[in-house]
Amino acid sequence: MNGLLINIALFTLLFAFILAFIRLLKGPTVNDRIVALDLIASVLMAFILCYSVLVNKAIYIDIAIVISLISFIGTIAISTYLKQKR
Amino acid sequence: MIGIIGNIFILLGCLFVFIAALGILRFTDLHSRLHATTKATSFGLLLILIGVSLHYLAIMVIVKSVLILLFIYLTAPLAAHSISHSSKKNTSEE
Repeated sequence: MNGLLINIALFTLLFAFILAFIRLLKGPTVNDRIVALDLIASVLMAFILCYSVLVNKAIYIDIAIVISLISFIGTIAISTYLKQKR
Repeated sequence: MIGIIGNIFILLGCLFVFIAALGILRFTDLHSRLHATTKATSFGLLLILIGVSLHYLAIMVIVKSVLILLFIYLTAPLAAHSISHSSKKNTSEE
């Protein structure tokens, strides 16, 4: 019972990753791809939190902090570059 | 018993992240996609972090969860605003 709900959650996140990756591949503009990349970072963060509960090790929560920092910096960098380039 | 409640919270949060991914695939406009992904992902990660805190019930995990949550709720609207602003500059200058 303990692992079943987490496994269902991991499969849900896998389907979410597939849908976001389809949008990343066929997005009409660059901005759609940036939105998809931001969503993929959030899906990865949720995946690592679920995996931390599944293997019962609390040290994996530190990875979510690092991913949230790097995802924010990357999104701001790419959108500022597009704004400056015009 | 409280672990089961935490797992249910985690499953609800993952369903919200899945709804965000469905929205980013099915919506037709860039601003609709930004609306879907920013709000649903923030709320889903809130539920997932509540579930993780209920699963461990340790003070360090709760402090880290509050830290992640504060950072996400501060930066997700900022990133969405930046993407939307770059899109506006792109279309108006061409």
